[in-house]
Amino acid sequence: MFRKILIANRGEIAVRILRACRELGIPTAAVFSEADRGSLHVRLADEAYPIGPAPSRESYLRIDKIMNVAKRAACDAIHPGYGFLAENSALPRACAEAGITFIGPSAEAMETLGAKTAGRQLARRAEVPTVPGTNDPIEDPQQAQELARSMGYPVLLKAVAGGGGKGMRLVAKDAEFTAGFRDASSEALNAFGNASVYLEKYLEKPRHIEIQILADTHGRVVSLGERECSVQRRHQKVIEEAPSPIMTPELRKRMGDAAVRLARAGGYTNAGTVEFLVDAHYDFYFLEVNTRLQVEHPVTEQVTGLDLVKLQIAIAAGHRLPFAWETITPRGHAMEVRLYAEDPENNFFPSPGKILSQHQPSGPGIRVDEGVYEGWTVPMDYDPLLSKLIAWGNSREETIARLRRALEEYSITGIKTNTTLFRRILAEPDFLKAEIHTNWLDELLQRPHPAAHDDSNGADAAAVAAAIWQATHNGNSPASSNAAPESEWKREGRRRQLERLP
Amino acid sequence: MKYEVLLAGKTRVVELLRADDEWIIFLDGKELEASVAEVAPNTFSVLLNGESHQIRIAPRADGTLTLHTALAEYYAEVTDPRVWRGRRHGALEAEGRQQITAPMPGKIVRVLVTEGDAVETGQGLLVVEAMKMQNEIRSPKSGKVEKLFAKEGLAVNAGDVLAWVE
Repeated sequence: MFRKILIANRGEIAVRILRACRELGIPTAAVFSEADRGSLHVRLADEAYPIGPAPSRESYLRIDKIMNVAKRAACDAIHPGYGFLAENSALPRACAEAGITFIGPSAEAMETLGAKTAGRQLARRAEVPTVPGTNDPIEDPQQAQELARSMGYPVLLKAVAGGGGKGMRLVAKDAEFTAGFRDASSEALNAFGNASVYLEKYLEKPRHIEIQILADTHGRVVSLGERECSVQRRHQKVIEEAPSPIMTPELRKRMGDAAVRLARAGGYTNAGTVEFLVDAHYDFYFLEVNTRLQVEHPVTEQVTGLDLVKLQIAIAAGHRLPFAWETITPRGHAMEVRLYAEDPENNFFPSPGKILSQHQPSGPGIRVDEGVYEGWTVPMDYDPLLSKLIAWGNSREETIARLRRALEEYSITGIKTNTTLFRRILAEPDFLKAEIHTNWLDELLQRPHPAAHDDSNGADAAAVAAAIWQATHNGNSPASSNAAPESEWKREGRRRQLERLP
Repeated sequence: MKYEVLLAGKTRVVELLRADDEWIIFLDGKELEASVAEVAPNTFSVLLNGESHQIRIAPRADGTLTLHTALAEYYAEVTDPRVWRGRRHGALEAEGRQQITAPMPGKIVRVLVTEGDAVETGQGLLVVEAMKMQNEIRSPKSGKVEKLFAKEGLAVNAGDVLAWVE
């Protein structure tokens, strides 16, 4: 095993990794930017070293600084977490040069599988289905139309240079193809100065289902089953669960086999995730590979009973995966919500600031992976993920009930969080029936918020508490608890007074 | 002691009398069967006709309160009618000059208007970046940008005044 592991990350994932190290008896070295001196991961680590100013490109993204700390603190392994440098192949390369183990795949496997186009090419070679269409710009519209006919409508025309929905046309039937092609091309030319468009089959109401894989350095690759992450806001996952409510043992086997095939073809090692879209006919299409641990890994841990971070460390240390895991099946149901410092009532504005109080839920079937504490100021410089709340139970229904109960117990004051969004989603009939797809949440948020649950007694109690708070906390000067900052003149005066003392 | 509590769009009158260690509470003129205990700093256990509520209170920089119940989050503005220098007067002013403040700490990455510009309600005035997200701050009314304090690249705190729209 390793002598000491450097954790090249911050927030909840740094805390998650150092908890695993602590359980394994491996000392940890944390790194922190100037904004993170008081962060939870710094408090909990065995050692912690500064790596520069708050902006991540001057601290958490600086490979040279991280390698310096690793050498200075005599670390023999680096765990990158997710985000920041986790998918930057320059880090495993730098590790290899310095004789330090990178806890993750090799730089080559990261490049082969992680890059979107390379990943798709490899998928085709490994006979993993990808979304049908052309990858190349359309040269001959008539040929493209024939392809569209053979794939079946609807199809999407997308600008090669595109993004943000510009130069994109949904073509529902054959008669609309010519006009759609013309519109998409001219829009693409106007927006990007490049008229090229390509063709892709349009999947209606697709679900996002991904397969967690583990691969050791001795050639064994196993699938730990799926997670469904169809509840997304602007392509950002909001709720994840395992197993997927639509999964059958047969489909799980086919998707798992495809993921394992792809990982083998790319020479992959360590933990990774193969993402798929699944359409209404239960056909699945390869999306991309995440060559790292994922934010939502706890739901897989809860239904398999495995600790993925410890397994990542064991694999990196050269241990073998047991043969029996080739047929692992999930037990029960798990669901995760991501608590963000953002305001769902106000356009999801970020809400950094000081956490005045925090009360975390507990009790049966509840797990909190947190990165914050009461009294800490959430910095404005990083991703606003505060913590992850995970529930598990015997059935999806029990899991949802536990999650709702836990959200009622969870309270963070001083900053805004997105808990009200989860209260809404977890009460939506479509969600309870698991009739969800990747656009479902964005569509839901377009609809007016229904009159919230009746909390009139709660409002009465709140009004009474507000008055008593005012009466007992210097009630007559409302702003007293947040008095204006002390005058600089006064402070200067006091400083001079102090200087005069012997 | 009598307070007016503006909460969830309604003004409630809460009258408090101290009897021994308990509060006698009237809500909108009606005496409540209630027991209130501050069980931890800023955390209140409220029993209302036997119904148990837990209320967590966070004071805000502008003197208003945020209150969290198990199911919802409220803003409250408490005024003492005797003092009557309430911030309610501020609401009248809001009709005229509007002060645009930063909703969160961050950095101003773009200023979209200049002093003297005519603006419409909802028109973007400037863009503040925080937590890797760019957020457009829009004008709350149509009028003229009377004063612009914001500059590109400037770091701001929540509540900092960025502009006046008259």
